[in-house]
Amino acid sequence: MPLSRSLTLPLLTLALVGLLAMVLSVGVGSVALSPVQVGAALLGEGSNLHQTLVLELRLPRTLAAFATGGLLAVAGALMQVLLRNPLADPYVLGLSGGAAVGALLAMLAGLGGVIVSGSAFAGALLATLMVFGLAHGTGSWTPSRLLLTGVVVAAGWGAVITLILAISPTQRLPGMLYWLMGDVSYARTPWPALILLVLACLLVLPLGRSLNVLARGPMQAAALGVSVRPLEWLIYVLASLLTAAAVTTAGSIGFVGLVVPHMLRLMLGNDQRLILPACALAGGTLLVLADTLARVVIAPEQLPVGVITALLGVPTFLYLLYRSR
Amino acid sequence: MPGSGECDITMLRRLQTLAATLVVGLVTAPLVHAGVCATDATGREVCLDQPATRIAALSPGATELVWAAGAGEQVVAVVSFSDYPPGATEVTSVGSHTRLDLEKLLSLEPDLVIGWVTGNPPEQLETLWELGLPVFSIEPRNFEAVSTTIEQLATLAGTEEAGFAEAERFRQGIAELTSEYRDAEPVSVFYQVWDEPLMTVNDDHLIGKMVTLCGGVNVFGDLDRLVPRISAEAVIAADPEAILAGGMGEENRQWLTRWESFPGLTASKRGNLFFIPPSLVQRPTPRMLEGSRLFCDKLDIARTRSEDR
Repeated sequence: MPLSRSLTLPLLTLALVGLLAMVLSVGVGSVALSPVQVGAALLGEGSNLHQTLVLELRLPRTLAAFATGGLLAVAGALMQVLLRNPLADPYVLGLSGGAAVGALLAMLAGLGGVIVSGSAFAGALLATLMVFGLAHGTGSWTPSRLLLTGVVVAAGWGAVITLILAISPTQRLPGMLYWLMGDVSYARTPWPALILLVLACLLVLPLGRSLNVLARGPMQAAALGVSVRPLEWLIYVLASLLTAAAVTTAGSIGFVGLVVPHMLRLMLGNDQRLILPACALAGGTLLVLADTLARVVIAPEQLPVGVITALLGVPTFLYLLYRSR
Repeated sequence: MPGSGECDITMLRRLQTLAATLVVGLVTAPLVHAGVCATDATGREVCLDQPATRIAALSPGATELVWAAGAGEQVVAVVSFSDYPPGATEVTSVGSHTRLDLEKLLSLEPDLVIGWVTGNPPEQLETLWELGLPVFSIEPRNFEAVSTTIEQLATLAGTEEAGFAEAERFRQGIAELTSEYRDAEPVSVFYQVWDEPLMTVNDDHLIGKMVTLCGGVNVFGDLDRLVPRISAEAVIAADPEAILAGGMGEENRQWLTRWESFPGLTASKRGNLFFIPPSLVQRPTPRMLEGSRLFCDKLDIARTRSEDR
């Protein structure tokens, strides 16, 4: 029982913190509503305006922020295991670049809403397939080869993004920049991202033990009976899918995927069975808090949430790193 | 059992009354609510049961146009940089036009939202529409569209008298300039929108149309993009007779001084470097008439200087 208790206690704590963050996010906005009014609106009572604010604007946005943050953190943790590189994040292999090119091209064509999201998703998948195919090459498939391919492809996407920005009409630039910085206000519905997050957690939990072994190196993993190659492929495809869903929901929000897994490892140790679900909860919580701040700090002006994730995350992470042995 | 019979009868009566109310309602509804309709720049027909009394204007230009339509008093929400007319600065802001605070906007309970096709985030306008708010999107691309937009806004706001008069004043003013400058001697012009990067406009842009209106020939008028980014070299190669520029602020001539350092440039040689307050030309509003007159005056000065060179 000690193992399961050491798993459940941190997760319960994180879930509780996440719930509090969501309550805060739904309760706070540029319009001051009392907790009673928010509660009434959640139960379908109170004035029409309050119901619209809480049920149509705040709640979907909070859920979308939670799902996006969770997806990014889980994807980041998976990438770090796959590439055995602490600097890996969900975007390290150029996925956000592909998604950004897709989204910006749609915006350049004057399209909006669903088409921008769909185009971003297509771009993300294209980027994934490209890196995967190229890394396969004629030689053997190794994580370092994958990493190098991804980084170079990402640089290529970066150039295309700059090119699109340079040739875009001036009036489209603000929308594009906000997309690149990441912004939860793009989220139209939280459900696909939330469902994917839950499914991903259910899928990786049974793999936890194999992932723990893989994190120590492929040789040891193979020696211990883990079929390394299929597992690596699975991680890669899964992490890409999660990132693509996150990017499609809210643009390319940085930092969450890199720092949340590290933060949790510093606090909870490196057991993937614990880290992966913890990432889902903590990543979601961080983004919910950041988005709440982004909405209200200089209201009615709205900040891109990526700014806040970094401003909140950097000092916290540095503090944990400084304290760690 | 008798109880239930009574109940049935009461129910029946209630239903009858309800049905009667519905029928009467259906028949009289079109008569009671005359309703106002207008088709916006995206082709969407926006209909209101009664003229709007609480208007949200989601761009500085929209704010000016609503005021021009005579409905300034009805504006309850604007966005940042809505600095004209003076009354606009008193109205609550709901963020910047590129990123709106929807919550704040909804809390002001507008009954008409004036969106900006290329300026507001499309997904946010769509959200407002889905929440049941009538969104009327505008994007005037020529002088006539400025007048018709004012008329449409006046219709939706129930201020036809003032709005149509203002639209007509603008239309007349532009018509007068058009006939006055129809046969004016052409002057080649470079209009500078921005300094770094150097940007200008083509002939399709409203500012480009102002240049043409005054008998100017925009040296970059044929470029494909509405607001092309160009090099200083291209300006020197085109060698315009006059350079018109805005600037950061209403009196900042700084952008023109860089051209003074090219004495070989015809515009510099003749002293035809003119400052135009950007607020008079860069928003598609009736103030463009004032801006156009200023353009035409400057080009007249350039013409006198070309004759006695």
